[in-house]
Amino acid sequence: MTATLRANTAVLEMRHISKRFDATQALDDVSLDLRAGEVHALLGENGAGKSTLIKIMTGIHAPDAGEILLDGRPIRIPNAMQAQRMGIAAIYQEPMIFPDLSVAENIFIGHAERSPFVRWGQMAQRAEEILGQLDVKLDARMPARGLPLAAQQTVEIAKAISLNVRALIMDEPTASLSAHEVEQLFRLVRALRQKGVAVLFISHRLEEVFEIADRVTIFRDGRLVSSRPVDQVTPEKAIRDMVGREVEDFFAKTSAPRGELLLSARHLSKAGVFTDIHFDIHRGEVLGFAGLVGARRTDVGLALFGVEPADSGEIVLEGRPVVIRSPQQAMQLGIAYLSEDRRQLGLTLPMSIVSNITLPTLRRYTGRLGLLNTRAEQASAEHYRERLSIRAPSVRVEVSKLSGGNQQKVMLGKWLNTCPKLLILDEPTRGIDVGAKAEVHHIINALAQEGLAILLISSDLPEVLGMSDRVLVMREGRQMGIFSRAEATQERIMAAAVGQAPPSPSS
Amino acid sequence: MKTLRRYFRPEQVRELSLIILLAAVVLLFASQINGFLSARTFTRISTSVAIIAVVAVGQTLVALTRNIDLSVGSIVGFTAYVVGTQLARDTSLSPLAAVAMSVAIGAVMGAINGALVSYGRAPAIIVTLGTLAIYRSLLVEISGAKTVTVDSLPQWIKDFPRADFLKIGEVDIRLMVALAVAIVIVFHLALTYLKFGRRLYAIGSNPEAARLAGLPVARTVFTAFVLCGALAGLAGFMFLARFGTITVVAAQGMELQSVAAVVVGGVNIFGGSGTVIGALFGATLIDTLEQGLVRWLQISEFWRDALLGLLILLAVATDAILVNRLRRLWVQRDLTAGPRQSSPAQEPGHVA
Repeated sequence: MTATLRANTAVLEMRHISKRFDATQALDDVSLDLRAGEVHALLGENGAGKSTLIKIMTGIHAPDAGEILLDGRPIRIPNAMQAQRMGIAAIYQEPMIFPDLSVAENIFIGHAERSPFVRWGQMAQRAEEILGQLDVKLDARMPARGLPLAAQQTVEIAKAISLNVRALIMDEPTASLSAHEVEQLFRLVRALRQKGVAVLFISHRLEEVFEIADRVTIFRDGRLVSSRPVDQVTPEKAIRDMVGREVEDFFAKTSAPRGELLLSARHLSKAGVFTDIHFDIHRGEVLGFAGLVGARRTDVGLALFGVEPADSGEIVLEGRPVVIRSPQQAMQLGIAYLSEDRRQLGLTLPMSIVSNITLPTLRRYTGRLGLLNTRAEQASAEHYRERLSIRAPSVRVEVSKLSGGNQQKVMLGKWLNTCPKLLILDEPTRGIDVGAKAEVHHIINALAQEGLAILLISSDLPEVLGMSDRVLVMREGRQMGIFSRAEATQERIMAAAVGQAPPSPSS
Repeated sequence: MKTLRRYFRPEQVRELSLIILLAAVVLLFASQINGFLSARTFTRISTSVAIIAVVAVGQTLVALTRNIDLSVGSIVGFTAYVVGTQLARDTSLSPLAAVAMSVAIGAVMGAINGALVSYGRAPAIIVTLGTLAIYRSLLVEISGAKTVTVDSLPQWIKDFPRADFLKIGEVDIRLMVALAVAIVIVFHLALTYLKFGRRLYAIGSNPEAARLAGLPVARTVFTAFVLCGALAGLAGFMFLARFGTITVVAAQGMELQSVAAVVVGGVNIFGGSGTVIGALFGATLIDTLEQGLVRWLQISEFWRDALLGLLILLAVATDAILVNRLRRLWVQRDLTAGPRQSSPAQEPGHVA
């Protein structure tokens, strides 16, 4: 096999690939090649188009335009099975294993052998051989259920090897691994490289990229920004390429006077999720939470709102230590949380604007006989429609009929109606258009002016920088630092988010 | 214990517990009911289990893929009726042709279910709830509410349920029972040694991973439904042979019995684990309990359904508790035998 694979010949070439999903251009004329015996790192912010590219390579999506070449010959990848037969395999952040099948079966399940029979003895033996090659001790006959994540990934790598993989795509394989497990994984990656496999390695951890990669390609907004050998790239350069754009000026932050201390999170930790989160938030302040996917920012929000409470640490609200065990309790304490997942968790889509807005506060509208005072409900809904300029023909309209931006505003109205002191906004502008986004920003400013404390979780870096008084950066469940508005630059935040900067001492 | 854990899965240990439970139930009835431990009891229970076991095998195939087939009762009834009328009309029809016809009718009905579920992407519970009613209505329409009677059937089919495969002393092993056992064994081997079988487990275990692994998910699920229908058709033939008289409500409620057998037999209703042997044990346990309780406490037939329901709940509860316990036991060993912290590369001082 190695004879046919001369080092540095392109195994898989993507030429001028474009892909569009409705309104978003996910990939725009991207060219990239994976060469034999080379680890090619792909970097980019969330939504830069990395996942779309992987899905095209593995046959899950078809490109709108462009060409794919395998060993110099143009090919079409119709589905995942064909991709595997061509020697293109992918390993995901969450391993795709079959818990009820044994390790050996997991390795050989996708095999296109002609014989319809399963030869158990032979299969187990071959599985053990492959695992032996990888220098890992795993009983091939054991069911895969309950294996630690790292072991599950090893099983997936063994599967790729058993398929004679030519191009291996690793989509953030290290995101949930411990340092020791990452080291083991890298050992395997190096072994694969030695064998002439072309590896595409995607990670948010810059130091890993510089440790393992031979070439670094950076995507931004669906375009290829740069592609260089690793020795011509520095972390600073990489970060600049990832961030690229300037902060747009329409984030007209109106600074509200900073009020008294509202809430302090003291060393909040939750096993396996986040560790030692420590911050203060004042009335009238917008505290931004920045970080990449998997930074566990949402989990901190959910902990404060009592959905998934922290294991240890303390929350002090208005000088009193409080224990928040449920959303009901959080609401009573004056905390509101706007979910990032509007459709699943935030709104009841088939119900009207009125019903959505009054849902958490129904008790207030309930009369003596337990009947709802619909007139009062309607009045509240009208109030928020005006205040938040929700564009809808009437407050009786089903929420599902509204645009994303207006849905977001309904959700805001729903939570503002609970009269919160602290408003946690999780990705409040994701998936809404520019105009609605500006309106939401305007509303956030106005609410801060009124003395609300706002915790703004956002993956949109310019947004976090533009809206926040201070920015807390998280990375894989750890707090990397809190930056004041003056200190917070895109480069600094991004550097902290990928683990390149020493944690800032201020908090 | 170590080798036991290596070669058996938690689910298989559960089957063992089912046998023990069955033995305990038989012993209980034997001590309470005069003449329970007799050749007659064996014959009666085994013949009755034979039909439901064949249906349960099909239900297992479907359940393994995280689906369910609620239309099996209607398929059994429909096949029994149609093949019965055909035999009454043309008594020269050969036994083989009658069986082939039953299996074919069932397979077509199963194919309709399968096509709607795997290519139409409708949830199986809804599709088969619909076809349960449709197939039954079709039967009512075709039959004009008339009944197939025993007298109209050829002699060979009337003799079939009483035909012995083997006679050991007083104990008769009926041909029908042997047929059911043969089907269980064939499908058990197929599930264990055919790639098709492995795919059923894989799809039920993690559908998303199955898709990403490039398995032919739709085709496999479709085939499972076709086989389930074909087995229900065969069961329809056995039903016709055993009862002779087929009305429009024939085999009504058999879907519940088959699901019960499967669940009690340790097949995970959420897919991915279980065996047809387990389903056979499940069917046997349920039938033994039913028949024993009727004779012992004179429980009325009306309470039997309630008993069945109770058994399902009990089975699901034990399944959750027992299998989780066992799995934890398995995993613990797994971790201790898994990759060690000290790989040789990190201990430069040691030379192997």
